[in-house]
Amino acid sequence: MAETEGATLARPDAPAGITAAFHHQALESRMAGEPDWLSQRRLSAWGIYEQLPLPSRRLEEWRYTDPRLLKWDAVTLSSPVAGRIESSAARAFFAGKPSSARVLQVNGGIAAIEVDPDVLGRGVIVKTLPEAALDHESLVREHLGAHARPADGKFIALNSAFWSAGVFIHVPRGVRLDRPIRMVRWIDAAGAAFFPRTLVLAGEGSSFGIVEELASPDFDSPVFCCGVCEVHASSAADVQYVAMQQWGRGVRHLGVQRTVAKRDANLDTLVVNLGGTVARSEVNASLEGPGARSDMLGLYFAHGDQHFDHETRQDHRVAHASSDLLYKGALDGKSRAIFRGLIKVWPGAQRTDAYQTSRNLILSKQAEATSLPNLEIEADDVRCSHAATVGHLDQEELFYIMSRGIPRREAERLVVFGFYGDVLARLPMPGVVRELRDAIEARIG
Amino acid sequence: MPQNETVTGLGLEEYKYGFVTEDKPVFKATKGLSEEIVRQISAHKAEPEWMLEFRLKALEIYRSKPMPAWGGDLAQLDAVLDEIYYYIKPQERMERSWDDVPQEIKDTFEKLGIPEAERKVLAGVGAQYESEMVYHSLKKEWTDKGIIFESIEDGLRLYPDLFREHFSTVIPPADNKFAALNSAVWSGGSFVYIPKGVHVDIPLQAYFRVNAERMGQFERTLIIVEEGANAQYIEGCTAPVYSTESFHSGVIEIIIKPNARFRYVTIQNWSHNMYNLVTQRAMVHEGGHMEWLDGNLGSKLTMKYPSCYLVGPGAHGEILSIAYAGPGQHQDTGGKVIHAAPNTTSQIISKSISRGSGRATYRGLCKIYEGSDHAKSKVECDALLLDEKARTDTFPYIEIEEQSASVGHEATVSKIGTEQLFYLMSRGLSEEEASAMIVRGFIEPIAKKLPLEYAVELNRLVELEMEGSVG
Repeated sequence: MAETEGATLARPDAPAGITAAFHHQALESRMAGEPDWLSQRRLSAWGIYEQLPLPSRRLEEWRYTDPRLLKWDAVTLSSPVAGRIESSAARAFFAGKPSSARVLQVNGGIAAIEVDPDVLGRGVIVKTLPEAALDHESLVREHLGAHARPADGKFIALNSAFWSAGVFIHVPRGVRLDRPIRMVRWIDAAGAAFFPRTLVLAGEGSSFGIVEELASPDFDSPVFCCGVCEVHASSAADVQYVAMQQWGRGVRHLGVQRTVAKRDANLDTLVVNLGGTVARSEVNASLEGPGARSDMLGLYFAHGDQHFDHETRQDHRVAHASSDLLYKGALDGKSRAIFRGLIKVWPGAQRTDAYQTSRNLILSKQAEATSLPNLEIEADDVRCSHAATVGHLDQEELFYIMSRGIPRREAERLVVFGFYGDVLARLPMPGVVRELRDAIEARIG
Repeated sequence: MPQNETVTGLGLEEYKYGFVTEDKPVFKATKGLSEEIVRQISAHKAEPEWMLEFRLKALEIYRSKPMPAWGGDLAQLDAVLDEIYYYIKPQERMERSWDDVPQEIKDTFEKLGIPEAERKVLAGVGAQYESEMVYHSLKKEWTDKGIIFESIEDGLRLYPDLFREHFSTVIPPADNKFAALNSAVWSGGSFVYIPKGVHVDIPLQAYFRVNAERMGQFERTLIIVEEGANAQYIEGCTAPVYSTESFHSGVIEIIIKPNARFRYVTIQNWSHNMYNLVTQRAMVHEGGHMEWLDGNLGSKLTMKYPSCYLVGPGAHGEILSIAYAGPGQHQDTGGKVIHAAPNTTSQIISKSISRGSGRATYRGLCKIYEGSDHAKSKVECDALLLDEKARTDTFPYIEIEEQSASVGHEATVSKIGTEQLFYLMSRGLSEEEASAMIVRGFIEPIAKKLPLEYAVELNRLVELEMEGSVG
């Protein structure tokens, strides 16, 4: 590495907080064994991270979530090294769930990657990101950090500098998978920070689903997990991406998802937030070709003192694309949920169809819901609408069910399930819907 | 015919009310703002000491607050604020009879289309020419009922205790930068008091007019509606066109006591160089009913969000907002409802039209505090875009802390449909007429809530907008 690059690294007298924890040496250990261009990107992201101001509630996007809740100053950087584990042990994480490829990440490292032989034979690539950077340099160079750019935000820059356990998925042109690719990210190290990274490339006309599960035990000390995921769908590709967050107590989760849909591509996302103490999901769908379509679904159940923040963006950059968003959540205990969604229609993006719906169900006296459904429209030949509601359990519905001899608690569960029904109905992955139902049921309990 | 041609040249480029009458003020402060100016204003009005102190404190707050970084583009505003006159007093005495009103001012009203005869219908006319009420009349039976409709200065002078008890209780100077500025230099506006149980059938009206170039208008209105009373207030304004920027920043405070009903109507048609930054808020007590009807057609930039603070059980707040943003205009408007008591209800309906480089922004807040059992709120925003350069934004904030609350928000964006046009034109209407009809239909839910003469005026304005719109 050239001498001049040292200038972009943290100075020894860097200010306290996140910068102190994520110092020079930590960054160098991340770069070990990587191609030089990849290290350069980390360094440049670190430079940007250092330049960007710390977010605070004074910023509109952090108005309802104090960034200090993420406790990044109370954690240490984890070691990215995790030994490969026995494939039989790894398989236990995927038991009973059909899949065409499986990735297990434990703490900061990739523990196992397994691709079914028939899938491998059709050219599907599932690798760690550093491996892919060597084997498929041009693809990784082109797309990594192109859709979630370090300059887009302090935490994206932080992840771009420190990511580990990166996963690269490429499904070539015309390949259709009938079983999803599954990723499980498991953390059991308290007091640490993790930066998972995912890059998914869907070739022209390919069709597949990805299910990412995030899980951990409960922690007494904070864990900070800041993940970035980029999904790029080429022409006429059809991709479903499900991110299911079931962290244990104590985890502070920041999940950034950027999707790009090209001409006639269909790119659907479902973001499920059930676990963690604080969870913030930033989901940005960019529609970049005529005929592109994104269904954006969200589902959350918060209880206790959980704090969930969803920030979404439907970015219509070209004409003749459509997007439809539906986020639904139920709030119990002293929980708090924020939804901020933006439909952005750029000049010239005529014939845009963009819809956005946010619905909250408040189950307890002390829960709080905030909705900010925003529109910025700079073209006139569009159909755009948004709707937001905040409501409570309908006493008449409850009464109706209870009058059939069902106890109150059970009746409430049924109503909440009914509330989630239309989100689940829109996900074209029946097996995954069943798993989601079970996971939600376990939470509502 | 291509769509974009149907709506070009719709606009307010030729400003109908853009005439200027020669002004002869009695007193004109020097340009810009200073403690000295604030003292001069207070001295000129022969105010009590507490008001001077209030003004000076507000000036400090104004200076300490940063310029808002949200909403419209305020980058040029600092320069504007240095250039304006903070106080002009056009006449020394309040006029009691129409005959005493100077001819020059009468001419101005004439051009604005306020016929002399109208004052017989209008219950009381407080016409604001420049910074103060110059003409003020009140029907005898109202005086007998104990209704007070005075200039804000006379309100302070004649009813010092009533005034002091309520003044600045709804909008304190520290509320926002421009409320602070208004608190420091306010001049002109109305003081209205409707006694307990009194019903007023004919609306109280005030006409506003800014005349002198670079003159800021800091009107201040305080309205107290006592228990069980029922009244309506109408404010309309229009200003002549000038080349340099102008500035208007009003503060309107309304107190609705238990079971009282009140409606406040504004149609704002400032000239297109005006910054219009207004704070208007009503405190609504138990069983009270407040309705804002807010029309924004003129100005360069308007930032105005009429608010209802529902602080008593069963209080109701309603905001009907209509905005038209033509080329070069930004209407950043909307409404706020704050529920802080059980069984409170509210509704916001917003309709906006943007054309050319015009930008219409809905910005609103619905906040329901914990303990506001069974509060209900409904917000509806519809935007109509007249061509491909127009822009519309919707920024609603919905903050709910109460389990039993029900809140709904809906917004739609659309353009004039080719099919709708075709249908009307096949019935023999010209494209221009058809477009005007569609626009009228779009604003109709709000227009029909306006008093007749305002509905007529609004429809006339729409027609003016649509004239020559088809090239």
